[in-house]
Amino acid sequence: MATEVVLPMLGITVEKGKIVEWLKREGDSVQKGEIIFIVETDKVATEVESPASGILAKIVIPVNQEVPVLTVVGVITEPGEKLSETYEVAPAAEPAPAAALERPTAYALRETLPPPQPSGPARVMPAGRKLARDQGIDLSAVTGTGPDGVILLRDVRAAVSGAGMKASTLARRLAEKEGTPLAGIAGTGVRGRVMVSDVERAVADARSPDFGKVIPMDNIRRVIARRMSESAFTAPHIYFFADVAMDPLLGFRKQVSEDFEKKFGLRPSVNDFLIKAVALNILDFPIMNAQARGQEIHVQPEINVGLAVAMDNGLMVPAIAQADRAGLADIARQRMDLVRRARAGKLTADEMGRGTFTISSLAQYDIVCFTAILNPPQSGILSIGKTREELYLDKGEVKARTIATFGLSVDHRIIDGAVAADFLQNLKWKLERPAFTFLVQ
Amino acid sequence: MRELTYAQAINEALRQCMRRDERVVLLGEDVGVYGGVFQVSAGLQDEFGPDRVMDTPISEAGFVGGCVGAALTGMRPVVEIMFIDFTTVCMDMIINQMAKMHYMFGGRGKVPMVLRTNIGAGRGAAAQHSQSFHSLFMHIPGLYVAAPSTPYDAKGLMIEAIRNDNPVIFVEHKKLYVEKGPVPEEEYAIPFGKADIKRRGADITVVATLAMVTRSLRAAEEAEKEGVGLEIVDPRTLTPLDKETILESVKKTGRLLVADEGHKTAGVAAEIAAIAAEEAIEYLKAPVMRVCSPDTPVPFSPPLEQAYIPDVKDIMPAVKRLMEYA
Amino acid sequence: MDIPKQTLRELFRIMVVIRAFEENVQDLYARGHIPGLAHLYIGEEAVAAGVCANLQADDYLTSTHRGHGHVIAKGADLKPMMAELYGKRTGYCKGKGGSMHIADMEIGILGANGIAGGGLPIAVGAALSAQWRGTDQVTACFFGDASSNNGTFHESLNLASLRKAPVVFVCENNLYGISVGQFKHQPIKDIAIRATSYDMPGVVVDGNDVFKVYEAASKAVRRARAKEGPTLIECKTYRWRGHHEGDPNQGRRYRTQEEIDQWKAKDPIERLANKLMEDKVAGAAKLAAIQKEILQEIDDAVAFANSSDFPAIEELYEDVYVEGSAQ
Repeated sequence: MATEVVLPMLGITVEKGKIVEWLKREGDSVQKGEIIFIVETDKVATEVESPASGILAKIVIPVNQEVPVLTVVGVITEPGEKLSETYEVAPAAEPAPAAALERPTAYALRETLPPPQPSGPARVMPAGRKLARDQGIDLSAVTGTGPDGVILLRDVRAAVSGAGMKASTLARRLAEKEGTPLAGIAGTGVRGRVMVSDVERAVADARSPDFGKVIPMDNIRRVIARRMSESAFTAPHIYFFADVAMDPLLGFRKQVSEDFEKKFGLRPSVNDFLIKAVALNILDFPIMNAQARGQEIHVQPEINVGLAVAMDNGLMVPAIAQADRAGLADIARQRMDLVRRARAGKLTADEMGRGTFTISSLAQYDIVCFTAILNPPQSGILSIGKTREELYLDKGEVKARTIATFGLSVDHRIIDGAVAADFLQNLKWKLERPAFTFLVQ
Repeated sequence: MRELTYAQAINEALRQCMRRDERVVLLGEDVGVYGGVFQVSAGLQDEFGPDRVMDTPISEAGFVGGCVGAALTGMRPVVEIMFIDFTTVCMDMIINQMAKMHYMFGGRGKVPMVLRTNIGAGRGAAAQHSQSFHSLFMHIPGLYVAAPSTPYDAKGLMIEAIRNDNPVIFVEHKKLYVEKGPVPEEEYAIPFGKADIKRRGADITVVATLAMVTRSLRAAEEAEKEGVGLEIVDPRTLTPLDKETILESVKKTGRLLVADEGHKTAGVAAEIAAIAAEEAIEYLKAPVMRVCSPDTPVPFSPPLEQAYIPDVKDIMPAVKRLMEYA
Repeated sequence: MDIPKQTLRELFRIMVVIRAFEENVQDLYARGHIPGLAHLYIGEEAVAAGVCANLQADDYLTSTHRGHGHVIAKGADLKPMMAELYGKRTGYCKGKGGSMHIADMEIGILGANGIAGGGLPIAVGAALSAQWRGTDQVTACFFGDASSNNGTFHESLNLASLRKAPVVFVCENNLYGISVGQFKHQPIKDIAIRATSYDMPGVVVDGNDVFKVYEAASKAVRRARAKEGPTLIECKTYRWRGHHEGDPNQGRRYRTQEEIDQWKAKDPIERLANKLMEDKVAGAAKLAAIQKEILQEIDDAVAFANSSDFPAIEELYEDVYVEGSAQ
């Protein structure tokens, strides 16, 4: 029976080796224990003994070829035995133990928690935080009485019960009349007692919360302020506008919506079509996917179209990945997921940072058109105004049609007017011929 | 009930166990004729003879390893290491042999031995005779660690330690040896893994070990005057640890103070604080405080040593801080 | 000394089992079937065989990281031994110990030990235990030349001699720790002279002559059983291979081929075989038959190990402690 000669285990840290010399040739006879080859690992030359006596029928791995430990390097046959032509050398075995770890140990690491939310959290002791969460108390409305103003359990308790708060009778009556919760009102009376003047002040504040107030910028606002300044003052913006006839697209969407929903479980929005059309258009105008970096123009490898999502405390622009390659259903799904998570403050840094072109829509407002600021480091942004009906002249005849005004802002450092105009023209063409556009992807 | 000192209580436990089971033997330096430097084994050699109560040469690795071998082969030895500081000389026998044989041999073979030693500063014995690094043994899987704070607990835990088939590190305290307390005359065993609430209170859970229990009780009297109620939980055994009782108390009071005489860094208190943070964070109204010895060797000079030892003077400020978090 | 023929044949058999087992382990390890570390006993067979032939089933033994030979000579079953080396749950230690911690309490094997000098105090403890329990059990304690410098050696010999504990200390002086030769790690040549410091007899024997080993061990065991105290036997021997599998070129980083060849020429098995044939105790054919049988036994053990399962992941947490309290 043939014996396989392997590159042996050479120490627990060694993973591969190179045969530097075969001391026997194919066809030579060998003795068990005789040195048959020398292997080099790191800086050590190790002699390897023959595991059996017989004929070295085959040398599988020649000199100077680095292979992993346990690779079959040769085959020894018994005298008179013939190796079949179809003899196949088994692949290198996995060093023991081969058993893969299927279940985690009881102490498997938990997933790391998602990054902290952008807005500054209130400082609360753990028990207080739990109570606030369970009772739906807004911690930003609770005053902390602990060291360094930390919110204690008792502060949250007071906010819950309100009744626990020390307040004068007049104060309570006024609060009840005005429908203002006592919780969170700082008391200026003896030992923090809430007096009627405190309630009056709180009521006045609630009516017009902002006038005269100094509001410190939260994280999101600070970031937006910085980035928009950076963009506006670094990239010279030029702006273009085109009216796009929307009937074809709206009609197309209506046509496919029902069947689309049946197949994919959701209806495509106008924005989904826009995202796809923009991405396809960028394929023809790679410069729109580029970024100015010093003296170089970096054309980004992927077309990730961002969609501006407006929220109470600012604007988020998550991007749909590889919008040129994604099918409409995929775009719709990504869009829904990203918008939902943007509103919940649960986007990842990658989702927010990977965009190469942005679409910003104010179509839900009575805004005809607007000039958008580039989302740095991108070089193009498309703004979309409200879809509206208008009369137009078609060969002297007055007709009605639905249009929307699209605005394009580009970075004039790398995109000239003609290119931008061409891009917008082409986009309009695509959007006015939806069947063809979405057929030819 | 009659009162015995902590040392006498352990003596009685040893005596009663040796009378009932001839496999129980006692080895150590000066345990025989002298009766042990803290008199814990006084009179035992007279009753059981020099073979069962053996004065050993100064060969900790030799006779602690010897007890491992004896335990593997049918005996139930109790070995004394005069001060916990000297366990360093036989660490291999404790950590690599005593603790691991049952596991390494796949459950065949057991080491039912007890290693008695003591911790605690306060006798001017200086850096190499006053340490409290019992947390090292809590860290090693395979060892049980008992730490009685009263004569009653000492006798009951010793009887259980001898009966138990696992290797036990029995941690005593130099300053507790002379403390008196009620001790029943009969044999009784206190199960491992059962903490004892030495005092009930509503405001702060104090988990305290060994001499810190007595010191916490004194602090509790003072705290009472300020209207603060300390609940004192004595784990009695560090391994296995009665997490349930500790966490139940923490959930009730919302404030945790751990008092242990080991160093603050990486000690018993750190472990208990971590358990609370991991399993009861939402019940905490305040940060977890630890009252421990400083991270320095034990100094010789008396005023320094007194400053070193954690006591009421260190517990009270921690209590005050905790009460800032209502 | 007149050794009965049956005993001689048995000695031969045991030495061949050890040799064949170790050679198999060498090959299996090289092929990656045996994980971890392997420290082979090849060349030292006469020591384990000669000593253990004098022990009864209920006598005790402590061994070292190079323990396969001792454990086989004491009567361990090859199947669970091989399975343990593979890390399978059918191994002696349910796969939890590995090569260096094989133990079988039932035949008195108190564990191979991964700590140099770790077994000495344990052996003394087992001997004291026999004294306490009033039995005539003897403990054989194997250790190497390098361990004889460790504190535990001195403490153990002192304590054993003081208590006249029934221990037979067997020092396998194979001239090297890992890579540091004896002449570099101790000022003396014969470790046996240290016995005088502890007031016990110390003898030097040719560790590759199983007759000499057997004789010295026989005396020492009788002395111990007669409650006269311990003995230190120093066996001069040599390991053919490196300290561990992976020690390059049979330890030639620190040994010469010449030295290796010199000792190989004193192969204890060959010497015994020649003597057996010379004295007509067994013929060449009989010896060959014994060897063939043994190879089959080992193949069976390997097959057993191969076909056994690894422990389930939950077994990681088992046997840290003994459950429940004792009587």
